[in-house]
Amino acid sequence: MSDANTIGFAGLSHLGIVYSMAAAARGFSVLAFDERLGVAEGLAAGRFPISEPGLEDAFVKHHVRIKYSADASLLSGCPLIFVTLDVSTDDANNSDLAPLESLIDRVSAVAAPETVLVLMSQVPPGFCRRLACRLPASLRLFYQVETLVFGNAVERAVRPERYMVGCAETDSGLPTLYRRYLKAFDCPVLPMRYESAELCKIAINCFLVSSVSTSNTLAEICGKIGADWSEIVPALRLDRRIGPHAYLNPGLGIAGGNLERDLATVQRLAAEYGSDARIVTGWQEKSRYDRDWTLRTLHHTGVLASPSHASVALWGLAYKADTASTKNSPAFAVLRALPQYKFRAYDPQAKIGTGFPFVDVYTSALEAVQGSTALLIMTPWKEFSNVTPRELIARMASLRLIDPYRVLDRNLFSESGFEYHCLGA
Amino acid sequence: MLVHRFESPTVPSRIVLLGSNGFLASQLRCTFEVARLAYRAIGSKEVDLIDGASTDQLAQIVRFEDALVVTSALTPEKGRDPATLIKNLRMIENLAMLLGRQPCAHIIYVSSDGVYASRSSLIAEDSPCETGDIYGVAHVVREKMLLQACQKADVPLAIVRPGAIYGSGDTHNSYGPNRFVRTALKDGKIVLFGGGEERRDHIHVRDVANLIQRCLVHRSAGVLNAVTGKAWSFRAVAEKVTAALGCPILIQELPRTGTITHRHFDITARLRAFPDFQATTLEEGLAETVSGVANAREEGLT
Repeated sequence: MSDANTIGFAGLSHLGIVYSMAAAARGFSVLAFDERLGVAEGLAAGRFPISEPGLEDAFVKHHVRIKYSADASLLSGCPLIFVTLDVSTDDANNSDLAPLESLIDRVSAVAAPETVLVLMSQVPPGFCRRLACRLPASLRLFYQVETLVFGNAVERAVRPERYMVGCAETDSGLPTLYRRYLKAFDCPVLPMRYESAELCKIAINCFLVSSVSTSNTLAEICGKIGADWSEIVPALRLDRRIGPHAYLNPGLGIAGGNLERDLATVQRLAAEYGSDARIVTGWQEKSRYDRDWTLRTLHHTGVLASPSHASVALWGLAYKADTASTKNSPAFAVLRALPQYKFRAYDPQAKIGTGFPFVDVYTSALEAVQGSTALLIMTPWKEFSNVTPRELIARMASLRLIDPYRVLDRNLFSESGFEYHCLGA
Repeated sequence: MLVHRFESPTVPSRIVLLGSNGFLASQLRCTFEVARLAYRAIGSKEVDLIDGASTDQLAQIVRFEDALVVTSALTPEKGRDPATLIKNLRMIENLAMLLGRQPCAHIIYVSSDGVYASRSSLIAEDSPCETGDIYGVAHVVREKMLLQACQKADVPLAIVRPGAIYGSGDTHNSYGPNRFVRTALKDGKIVLFGGGEERRDHIHVRDVANLIQRCLVHRSAGVLNAVTGKAWSFRAVAEKVTAALGCPILIQELPRTGTITHRHFDITARLRAFPDFQATTLEEGLAETVSGVANAREEGLT
């Protein structure tokens, strides 16, 4: 299937899986490469290590245009290669760039002269300029900012809002092949220098975090003065300076890893270059405080008073809905804080892992609430919103709901005799 | 943030309580007795920590397996001046010298929420210790001195920073619940600065002792704010005192001299350390205090 127009994707983690599929969905022939054991083989068989709405459907429709391979030499036939390995972070949200650098070396060694190499992985400012210096002069390097959103990644990759492309020099234009590829997605393309593109991604995330932090701050005050944040949000969305898609829903801090990584990068840059980044420290501290809202609410409701009598049902382990990712998940923060208590957990996709002997995992939400003294809804999975008061009344020992995201109908459950706690009211 | 050396409660072989006669120390003695914990209380009459000889004296008493609870301090009513500050530091200097000679199993240092800045904010254990008050400075420096000595001697150190402690038996007369109860009983009135709008976290002395006991049995190390997590205005406290007394009390307002500052605490670290701890409600605590102070008055103790 390889031809002169085959687009290469190297590194098949979340980013590579989704973007290679988007390329196929837009009609391109794709060579998706990853030489880690079993990765290409599993993907070729339709076994995805990630969960994204629409991914399996897209595979059914478009897999004929994708060749998954562990053979790096095949990349030599691709004039345009995207490097799409996700960069993992440690507990302090620092990036581990070594696997990415190793992959780039592998790709650049086999890429044909004049190949256009497009880096999409999450790299800190300065990375691309340094990389361009050490790559063979026959390769042209670009940096395409990824704005993957877990749980909505396929949709955003197939129908992007815009492309931000980092270039060595902005006045030399994009190569024809790359330009033609981007044009197929029918959205604005914003060329900029490498450093701007690298910082652009961080800038987007900083604005998201500031919205989240502001919303959480005001939502908490709402709860204390008798206001309701959900009544205020529509007014904010109608304000052009804020907008209909702003991150205004209160939540349990930032999680998932990417936002945290970018905040750590800003702090590092500010320290290195002498800028005032105390606001970033404030966001981080605020996020930790927001994450622990559930713990404080459990205390205020008296659930923690007697460890031997508490049996807490916990719905949702993932850090957000429609993903199996648990990186920095608030659910795990609660579990780690309360090993003396008995938990009954359920999540449609995420796994509990090891180290939680005090947590029993169930295969349905209603099984998990059986005999519980409180129900925590830690991830706003849609399926939870279908549960009725009657179903919970029949199973729970105490009618206490801690529902930060308002998955359930507050009025309905309050009127049905539940003690109901949520963010923002 | 506290880290427990013992996940399951383990009774220390003996507790040495430094400062035995203060408000909190008295409560600690009660708590230890009720819990049947072996302890040795040492007051300043027996060993004066300000005196350099105290190191030798304590070296004769303290054993390797002991847990030390340090409540000794010259409180603000003894002086908010450089001389008192130096004496307070001298006490810890002598104690640090003791640790160099005779390490022990665990130390709990009772500090103060005075280490934090007085501006309005939500305070947590990792909030900056930026006090402008010389008594607060004393505790900041004492904490650092002890931390250094404990690190050197490999002794786990828990720093407990209580908020505004109240309860019957309080020997101080600072602005707040105890003064309100006393003046209400004695004069039938409570005097507020301004409208008493400032909010503070008032913790019952028994709760502070309870938290210290928990730190002891878990051999905890780190910092813990001994607070309830609920701040009340002085006006609300005055009204609750009045309600507890069950008779009309005049609440008088004096012209305000300073700006209004509030003090709230984030108790997340405490919830992680001791999730099942439940603080006494202010209503319960004040009712007990009213009853205790009234009984003491009848017995001519105050």
